[in-house]
Amino acid sequence: MFRRLAVLATLAGAALAGTAALAQAPSGKVTVVTSFSKDVTDPFKAAFEKAYPGTRLEVQNRNTNAGVKFVEETKGNNQTDLFWASAPDAFEVLKGKGLLQKYQPKATGIPEKIGAFPINDPEGHYFGFAASGYGIMWNTRYAQANKLPEPKDWSDLAKPAYYDHVAISAPSRSGTTHLTIETILQGEGWDKGWRTVKEMAGNFSQITERSFGVPEAVNSGQTGFGIVIDFFAFSSQASGFPVKFVYPTVTTIVPANVGIIANAPNKAGAEAFVEFALSPAGQEVLLEPSIRRLPINPAVYAKAPADYPNPFKDPSLGSRVKFDVNVSEKRTAVVDGLFDQLITFQLDAIKGATKAVHEAEAALAKKDNPQARALVKEARDLIAAMPVNEQQAASPETAGAFTGAKEKGARQAELEAQWAAFAKERYAQARAKAEEAAKLAR
Amino acid sequence: MNQPLRSADLAASAAGVSIEGVNLSYGTNHVLKDVSLDVRPGEFFAFLGPSGCGKTTLLRLIAGFNQADSGRVLVGGKDIAPLPPWKRDVGMVFQSYALWPHMSVRRNVAFGLEERRLPRAEIAPRVEEALELVGLAGLADRRPSQLSGGQQQRVAVARTIAVRPKVLLLDEPLSNLDAKLRVQVRRELRDLQQRLGITTIFVTHDQEEANTICDRIAVMNEGVVQQVGTPMELYERPANLFVAGFLGTANILAGRIAGSGPDRAFEIATGLRLPVDPGVEIPAGARLVFRPQDAVLGSGGDAASLPGRIVHREFLGSSVRYGVEIAGTEIVVDMPFRAGSALEEVGAPVAVTIPSRSALWLAA
Amino acid sequence: MSATLAPAAARPAPRLFASPGQALAAAAIALFLLLFLVWPVATVIYVAFTEKGSGAFTLINFVDFARTDLFVRSFWNSVYVSAMSVVLASVFALPLAAITTRFEFRGAALVQTLGFIPLIMPPFVGAVAMQLFFGRNGSVNLLLDEGFGFKIPFMEGLNGVVFVQSVHYFPFILVNLSAALRNIDRSMEEAAQNLGSSGFRLFRRIVFPLALPGYLAGASLVFVKVFDDLATPLLLNVKDMLAPQAYLRVTSIGIADPMGYVISVVLIVASILAMWASAAATRGRDYATVQRGGGGLARRRLRPWESAAAYAVVGLILALVLAPHLGLLLLSFATVWSFSPLPDAYTLAHYGRVFGASADYIKNTLIYASLAGLIDVVLGAAIAYLVLRTRLVGRHWLDWAASAALAVPGVVLGIGYLRTFYGVQLPGGQPLATLWITIVLALAIRRLPYALRACYAALQQISTSLEEAAENLGANKARTVRRIVLPLMTGGILAGFISSFSTAAVELSATLMLVQSNSDAPLAYGLYVFMQSPAGRGPGAALGVIAVVLVAACALLSHLVIERGQKARGAGH
Repeated sequence: MFRRLAVLATLAGAALAGTAALAQAPSGKVTVVTSFSKDVTDPFKAAFEKAYPGTRLEVQNRNTNAGVKFVEETKGNNQTDLFWASAPDAFEVLKGKGLLQKYQPKATGIPEKIGAFPINDPEGHYFGFAASGYGIMWNTRYAQANKLPEPKDWSDLAKPAYYDHVAISAPSRSGTTHLTIETILQGEGWDKGWRTVKEMAGNFSQITERSFGVPEAVNSGQTGFGIVIDFFAFSSQASGFPVKFVYPTVTTIVPANVGIIANAPNKAGAEAFVEFALSPAGQEVLLEPSIRRLPINPAVYAKAPADYPNPFKDPSLGSRVKFDVNVSEKRTAVVDGLFDQLITFQLDAIKGATKAVHEAEAALAKKDNPQARALVKEARDLIAAMPVNEQQAASPETAGAFTGAKEKGARQAELEAQWAAFAKERYAQARAKAEEAAKLAR
Repeated sequence: MNQPLRSADLAASAAGVSIEGVNLSYGTNHVLKDVSLDVRPGEFFAFLGPSGCGKTTLLRLIAGFNQADSGRVLVGGKDIAPLPPWKRDVGMVFQSYALWPHMSVRRNVAFGLEERRLPRAEIAPRVEEALELVGLAGLADRRPSQLSGGQQQRVAVARTIAVRPKVLLLDEPLSNLDAKLRVQVRRELRDLQQRLGITTIFVTHDQEEANTICDRIAVMNEGVVQQVGTPMELYERPANLFVAGFLGTANILAGRIAGSGPDRAFEIATGLRLPVDPGVEIPAGARLVFRPQDAVLGSGGDAASLPGRIVHREFLGSSVRYGVEIAGTEIVVDMPFRAGSALEEVGAPVAVTIPSRSALWLAA
Repeated sequence: MSATLAPAAARPAPRLFASPGQALAAAAIALFLLLFLVWPVATVIYVAFTEKGSGAFTLINFVDFARTDLFVRSFWNSVYVSAMSVVLASVFALPLAAITTRFEFRGAALVQTLGFIPLIMPPFVGAVAMQLFFGRNGSVNLLLDEGFGFKIPFMEGLNGVVFVQSVHYFPFILVNLSAALRNIDRSMEEAAQNLGSSGFRLFRRIVFPLALPGYLAGASLVFVKVFDDLATPLLLNVKDMLAPQAYLRVTSIGIADPMGYVISVVLIVASILAMWASAAATRGRDYATVQRGGGGLARRRLRPWESAAAYAVVGLILALVLAPHLGLLLLSFATVWSFSPLPDAYTLAHYGRVFGASADYIKNTLIYASLAGLIDVVLGAAIAYLVLRTRLVGRHWLDWAASAALAVPGVVLGIGYLRTFYGVQLPGGQPLATLWITIVLALAIRRLPYALRACYAALQQISTSLEEAAENLGANKARTVRRIVLPLMTGGILAGFISSFSTAAVELSATLMLVQSNSDAPLAYGLYVFMQSPAGRGPGAALGVIAVVLVAACALLSHLVIERGQKARGAGH
C-alpha cells in the first residue's frame, strides 16, 4: 500500500509532463470510473494493457449515479481520467457541468448513427463504443411453471396474466431503465407512453434499486419477467441461466459511452483508452460471451456468432424510434420523479387498482354490461392520468425544482407531495370504480 | 407494635428436621461425611464451625440447592429429597440477603405469597404484618438500595417469614453487619423466633453468636458433626479437642500416663508429673484440657501442682490473664480481680493447680 | 464583585476533576471526533437547514417532511419495522441465551459462537442467498407449493424486512443478554426458589428483570441498527422506509434537494433518542447484581425430555438464522441455481476464479478491519474511562458524539469524507481522501459505538476500590490505569474489538464511496463488483464464504485468547 504512494508520486510528475507534451506515448495509471461489471472491465483491462504496454487501467466500480456524484464531488482535485458507462444522460449531466473534456477520436469505420441514435456526442464530449437495446428478459422455468406465454412487446406485459410477475428497476436509480422509459415516452408520445408504462406497472412484482437487481431476480427465479438492457440477458444466457430475451417493437438502440474527465491527470492515457475502445481490437472484446454488447463498427460483426443481433443489418432494431437526447435531457429528473411518485412509492395502490380492473374485465368477458364497461374505461383513464403534461414537464420551473436551480421557486418536496397525492386519490377512485363495475357485471 | 401477636398460627406449622446419614461430594472433595442430627420442632439450632466445615452446604441441602449423594433429609417426618427448592416450604435468609433490586420492599416481601397464589386481599395484610414484626412498616415503598445494611437484613427476614415456612434457615445473617448492630440484631432474631415458635437453623462461624441465641448447637469440622448439645454442655463437656478448642479458650497439655494404681500420674515432661485420681478414666493418647478460669496460681509445694513461670500478663477488668510457661508449653490462667488483689509479676515462678473436677481428658 | 462570587464559593464549583494527562486525552479524542465525525457530517447535512435559492437558515424543509405523505409513512414504517425486529430478534435470542447460560447444555460455547455469525453477513450475497431459500420462489416456498399448494411470504414487504433484520441483528441481544444473565448473583434466583417460585415464572419475575439492562442494551442496538439500515430494505425492494429514502435521495443524480439530508437529520435524532430512552429506562436503579458470595447463576441439569426439547429449539433457531450462510455456501458451489429448491449441479470453479483476485482483498480487509478495531478500542476504552472515572466537564459529550456515529448513514459519512478531505492535498498533490487510511478512519468511526459500549460495560463492572487500593499503594493515575484497569478490562476490550472488527470487515456503504482503486479495496467492495453481473454470482458467493470464514476465524481466535486470559486469571484464586 505504501508502494502505491511512491508510484503515485512519480505518476503525478508524469501527468504534469504529459499535459506539457501531448504527443508523448501513453503510460502509467489510467483511472476509469465505470458502472460496468468485472465481466466487462476485466477483458478490456487485459486487452488495453496489452495494446499499450506500460499503461495500467485502474477500475473504480460505482453505479452510474454514484459515479457522477463522485466526479462532481471530487472535481476540485480531480484524480479520475475517464467516465465509462451506458446511459447517455449521465454524460449529458457531466457535460452540462463542464466536467468532460472535448476530444476528436481518430478511429475510422464508425458510422454516424446507430438506428436513429447518433453514436457520438455531436459536440465531441463523449463517444459511443458499444450499442445496447432494451427489452424483456424472462426465466423459462418460471414461465413454464406459471404457464405464462412468451411476451413479444411492452403491451404484452400489461396483460392480466402477467400480474405480479414483472420486475423493473427504478429509472431514478438506473440509467438504462430511464432510457427505456424515455424511449417508450418518445416512441408512443407523452400520454400514451405513460399509459403503457402504468399498465405494465400494475403488473410489477418489484421495483429494484439497482439495474442488476432485475436480471438477478429473473436469473434466480424470484420473479419471472424483467425489463432490462439486452446484455444482461445475453450474459446471463452465457452463464447458463434458463433465460430468454426479446426486443419489443418500440425500442431504441443507444450507445454506451466513454468520456474524458476535464483536467484528467493522465490525459494521454485517457485518450489512448478512448482510441482503443473504438479500434477493431477493442470492438472485438465486446463479442466475448460474458460481455455480449453490440459493436458500433459494422465490420466487426463479421467475427460475431451467427445469431448475434446486428442493428446495422436488422432494420427492425431501434429504427422505429427517433430518440431525441435533448428532449430527454431536459426532463430527466422530472420523468424519474414522476415515475417514483406515481409508481414506485404507490406500487401497492396502483397494483390494487389494476387488479380490480383485471377482475372487472374478466367478469365482463363472461357477461357484458355497458354501464360496467364505461366504469372500467373510467378506471383505466384514472390510472393513466398524469399530473403534468409534456410541456409542463420540460418547463424550466418544474425542472428547476429538481436540479437544484439557485433561483427561488417550487421546492422538489412540494411538487412530489402534490404528485403523490394526485396519484393516490386517482388510484383509489379507479379501484372503487372497477370494483363497482365488477359488481354490476356479476 | 401494639398489635397483638398472632404467633400461634405460625407456631402450628413448626416442624422438626432430621438429617440421616447424609454424604455429599464435589468430585473428590468429600464435603459432608455421614452427617446425622435432629432438630426439634420450635428449636433455635445452630450449625457452628470454621469456614469450609460444610455447614453452609448442609443448610443449602435442606433448602434443596444441593443434592445429597446418600442419606435422607426429613422435615416434619417427611423425606423432602424428591421436592425441588420451591416446594419445600423451608424459608432461607441469604448471607447476601439477595434482595431483588428491581422490586420495592413491599414487592420483595409479597413475592413468596404471590407465588403461592394467595388472594390479593390476604397478601397485603400479611406483608404489613411481616414488616411490622421486623419493625420496618414505614419503609415498604423504598427500594433495597435505599436501605441500610441492618434494614436490608430485616427485609430479608420479613420476606422469608411472610410465607410462614415450616423451618427458617439463616445463612450467616449477621456477618454483613457492624459489631454493635450484630448484638442488637441477634437479640431481635432470638426474640422473633421465640414469638413465632418457628424451627430455626442458624449457620455461623462465631461461637459467641451461637452460644448467646441458640438452644442447641451442632459443631462441625471437615464435613463431620463433632458434637451436638446445648451451649453449656458443649462448653463443659466437649467431646473432643476440636470442640474444646473451638468453644471458648482451652489449655491443652500433652503427656503420657505413667505408673498405675495410686501412683498413676500424667507425665508432661521428664520429672514433671501430675497425679491422677484413681476413679478417672483416661482414654489412650488423651491430653489434659482445662479452662483458664478453672486453674489456680499458687506459690507451690503442693504435689498436685505444676511449676511454671509467668511470661506475660493481661489486665481484663474483672480478671487478670496470666501466660504461664510449663515445661516449654504456654498455658493461660485467669485469676479473678478484686480491688486490692496482689498481682504476680512477669518472670516470677508460680505453681499451677488444676482441680481434678475441672480437668478434662480428651483424645484428638 | 465579592457578592457575585459568594454563591459559587458556598457551593463547590464544578472542578476540572482530572489530571492534565486526562484532560489532554479528552482534548485529543474530542479533536478526533470533531475532525472525522462531526465536521464531515456537518458539511453534508447543513443543507437540511438552508432555504432553496437564498441558502439562508430555515426549518421549512422539516415542515415539508412532516407534510409529505411518503415521508410520514416511511417514518412510521421504520418505527414499525425496528420495533418488530426487536421483538422477533428477542424471540430468537431469548431461548438461546437462557438455555446456554442457565442449563448444563453440551455445546453452549458452540451455540454462542454460531449465534454471532449472522452479524457477519456479507452485503448483496447474503440477501441473494436468503432469497434463494426464503424468497417468493425460494427453496422453502417451492417445496411448500409443491407439497401443500401454498407459499409463505417470508421476504415480502415490511414483514420481510423484519424477518431478515431479526436474523441479521439478533446476536446483539444474544451477546448482551447472555453476559447479563451470567452476571446475576446465584442467591437472587435461589431466594425466589426458596419462596416458591420456579420455571418460567421465576425467569419472568426475577431472572429476566435482573438481566434487563443487558437486554435493553442489545435491544436498543437492534432498534437503532434496523432504523438506520438501508441495504436490507432496498435489497427487498422496500423503499418506503426512512433510511432507504435518505439514501435514494442523496445518491440520485440531478437532485440537489435538501430532503435527503433532512431525513438524515431525522434518522440521527431518532437514533439518539432511542439510545437515550434505553439508558434512561435503567438509570437510577441499582442493578449491581454481583454481590458478595456471587458466582453466577446455577446451571441446572436437564431431564432427558427437557434436554431433547432444548436441543430441538436451539437447533431450529440456529437452522433459521444460519440459513443465509448455508445458502451462501451452496451458492458458492452451484453452477446454476434458478427456480429450483437446490442448484442444478456443483462446481469448484468459482473458488478458482476468486482465488487469485482475493489475496489483495483479504489482505486489505484484515488491515482495515484490524486497524479500525484497534482505533475503536483505544478510543472506546479512553472515553469509557473519562466518562466513568473522571469528572471532567463535558465528558458526556464525548460519549454522545461517539454513540451518534451509530446513527449516521454510511453514505452520508462517505460523502462527508469526500467533501472534507478531497480538498486536503498531500505533499505529492494527492488528495487525502484517496489514501486508504481514509477508509480505515470511516470504518473506525462507524464501528466506534460497538467498542465503546463493550468497554463501558467492562469498566462499570470494576469496583473503584481496586483502583483506590493501587493508588493507596503508591501508583499514580496513569500507572493504575495501565496495571490495574486495563488488565481487568481485557475481556470487554477484546469483545469490543471483535464486534468492531467483524462488522467492519463486511461494511460496504461508506467504503463504496471511498474506495479509490482495486488494489486498495476490501473484500466487501470485491463482492459488490462481482455481484453486478450474472457470471459473478458464483464467484461473489465464494468471496462471501471466504469473508465469513475469515472473520469468524479471527473472532474465534480472539475469543480463545479471552478465555485463556480469564482462565489464567481464574487460576490465581
